[in-house]
Amino acid sequence: MGKTAVEKILSRIEGRPVKRGELIFPVAELVTVHDWYVCNMSQTLAEFGVTSLYDPRRIAFFTDHEPIAVSPQAALRQKATREIARRFEVEHFFDVGRGGNGHIFGVEIGLARPGMFASGYDTHVTSYGAIGCFATAIVTEVAELAACGSVWLEVPRSVRIDLTGDLAKGVYARDVAQYLISAYDAEIFDDAVVEFSGPALKRFSIDDRFVLVNTPMEVGARTGFISPDDICLAHCALRGIDISLAQSSDDDADWAEVIELDLGGIEPQVAKPPRPDLSVPLSDVKGTRFQHAFIGSCAAGMLSDMRTAARILEGRQVHSDVRLFVTPATQQIAVQAAREGLMEIFAEAGAVVTAPGCGACAGGRIGPTAEGEVSLNTGTRNDFGRLGSTDARIYIASSATVAASCISGAISDPREFLTEVANV
Amino acid sequence: MSEPTSAGPHSAFRWTYEGRAWIFGDEVGVDGDLMPLEFALKRETRLDVLARHTFEQLDPDFHKKVAPGDIVVAGRRFAQGNPHIQGLLGLKGLELGLICESISSGSFRNAVNAGLAFLPNCPAVRKHVGQGDRLRVNFETGEVSNLSTGWTSHYSPLPEALRTIVAGGGWRLLFRRGWAEAAPPPP
Repeated sequence: MGKTAVEKILSRIEGRPVKRGELIFPVAELVTVHDWYVCNMSQTLAEFGVTSLYDPRRIAFFTDHEPIAVSPQAALRQKATREIARRFEVEHFFDVGRGGNGHIFGVEIGLARPGMFASGYDTHVTSYGAIGCFATAIVTEVAELAACGSVWLEVPRSVRIDLTGDLAKGVYARDVAQYLISAYDAEIFDDAVVEFSGPALKRFSIDDRFVLVNTPMEVGARTGFISPDDICLAHCALRGIDISLAQSSDDDADWAEVIELDLGGIEPQVAKPPRPDLSVPLSDVKGTRFQHAFIGSCAAGMLSDMRTAARILEGRQVHSDVRLFVTPATQQIAVQAAREGLMEIFAEAGAVVTAPGCGACAGGRIGPTAEGEVSLNTGTRNDFGRLGSTDARIYIASSATVAASCISGAISDPREFLTEVANV
Repeated sequence: MSEPTSAGPHSAFRWTYEGRAWIFGDEVGVDGDLMPLEFALKRETRLDVLARHTFEQLDPDFHKKVAPGDIVVAGRRFAQGNPHIQGLLGLKGLELGLICESISSGSFRNAVNAGLAFLPNCPAVRKHVGQGDRLRVNFETGEVSNLSTGWTSHYSPLPEALRTIVAGGGWRLLFRRGWAEAAPPPP
């Protein structure tokens, strides 16, 4: 029997073959921590008398959840983060304005690489699976991981999703991901690596793959993963990213489940509050009015999202009842979007473009909702309280759906605004 | 509440709980249902604070009604959602045990890290337990007894390695051990 890529990666780390269900202590090759959690981690390290990290070359700090400090307390936290990075000689520190959303630019700059084992405080570290990096969140124990090098991990089972068929116009990777977690029993995905494969995968760019791999985690998957293919290798070649550790899954690996997903039958999706897996066809909630909108996050702040939203908003106005925040995920995406004139389109349409990072999705620290409001956005989750107010109702959907809906101030079908066949 | 049982290497930890059953349904959310999200966003970890807010949004007086040794009996995918530890720490703070039909993976890890006595995989257990029934659960062996009805069954306990963490009070035990024993990184 063959092995999954994740089993091969963990076997390399352990220096011996590992099998599913085994409890191991694999040393992480990259440990990521974001914003103010650096301060919490530092407190824990102090409590345990830790004066140096296991390997500062493996540690990355990102300032992306709150890139612009808007309170004296936040400014102090950022100052403390800088001091902690210096004290522990953290090799990869991306401060305000230096990278953006770490889940995304880690892949842009090759901090996360194919075949690597990464772990971090934030659940959406799973985004690194887009380029075949096995990445899984270690929440509470991240201080232990940084200090000691490893924490316990059960070698996960894997579920394979074979993508077939063609996406219809106006349907995006985001819709596929939301459809997947709503259409199948969450227990299939629970604690599993969800690996995307199949003939239609070649139609999904790296931008599209981020949302595929970071959505199953919302229903309890360990992570998402895509074995490196030509698209991944081209991404790496363009950026000089080392692929020497890359691993692919064998067809005859010990898959817990194989699901064939025909893309052709999928319509634009909207997840209703308060859970991402409460996704329904857009037509079920069409016409729902909202006041707050956001395009961005590690599931939708990519250049392709910016382009799609701009194409829909060009020459149009965001409805007067709606405030729209647009957050490019990374500095590089912001630069390219500006070069292409997309920032101009957003500004002319009446949207606010914010600093690169997580945007409103990071707990509503930027552009939150107010009590009683409704939000339509491209964030990763829609729990009550996710965007500030604890009673705001949050719907999540693709960038195209959010952009199209902003024009009328009510949930609208993006297909009515797309005159040409959309690229996936 | 029963006296501590003999528990091999973890003799300081009480593995057997005896108390009333508190029944919950499928897919209890970790944020909101189990614990208001604000405590996760504040990174609150004090057990006494979290204990007072456990299940608050489902029953504001829950923390007043329960007694140490009582047992939460839940359905499928207990504590699903964004894996925040606060709700599991709240259960620990109230000194409750947990048995559930299944638990989401992130909350499984957090329950171990919180040092919570729990059985993660008790299929159909709610068919045999009613609200307020008197239960005895041995979290080391997996034996669950409904003292009100005489029903007894046996479920898989946590693996030994994870029971050691739970018995040591959660992730802090491993941190201490790991820091004392960490080998230097490769060059």
